[in-house]
Amino acid sequence: MGIAAERIDRLATLAREAVTAGETDRARRYVRLARRIAERNRLTLPRSFRRFTCDACDAYLRPGRNARVRLADGHVVVRCDCGATARYPYE
Amino acid sequence: MPLTPETLTRHELVGLQTRVVESTNPDSVGIGGRVVDETMRTLVIEGDRVRRVPKQGTTFEFALPRTDEAADAEKASGTTFELPSETAGRTGQSDGCEDVAYVTVDGTRLLSRPALRTEKAGVSIWR
Ligand SMILES: [Zn+2]
Repeated sequence: MGIAAERIDRLATLAREAVTAGETDRARRYVRLARRIAERNRLTLPRSFRRFTCDACDAYLRPGRNARVRLADGHVVVRCDCGATARYPYE
Repeated sequence: MPLTPETLTRHELVGLQTRVVESTNPDSVGIGGRVVDETMRTLVIEGDRVRRVPKQGTTFEFALPRTDEAADAEKASGTTFELPSETAGRTGQSDGCEDVAYVTVDGTRLLSRPALRTEKAGVSIWR
């Protein structure tokens, strides 16, 4: 694993911890930095990172804390506190 | 590429424990705590309170948690400390705890946008 991939990994952990500690804006900084590193180094962000971050406001999502998760027919709906929703299909 | 003294300047600094050991501003010497944010020219350190310290003119001492992987890499590159790294070097392990390595880094070597440090840090071969 290269340095870039490791940095993304650590930033994801840091963002999760920051949200737990109530520092949502600090978590946003980490998410944005991780996205930028992935972009610069042409890496695909891990699926867990993509699913647990908000595309609209870059918040790191913790269901029950700053995100609501509902199951609908054939897809999961994740709604961030900012109002943006993301839908992911499931079998 | 684990976090080692050699890769520190290109690796993620957020989350590490650090301390200001030398600075052009005498008031900022001794500031210590956890790095919580980084900009192109500053580090934000959270100790008893949150402080923003310029990288330029400051020498930081980072505490690296030693993993097995990092220890192996260190053995493999045991001689690299003699390479031209007049600004980065290990100050030595503290006696009691062997799982932490302390690295002093001249903040000038960290002057780069956080996302670009992975690509840019290091001494340019173009002189
Ligand atoms: Zn959002």
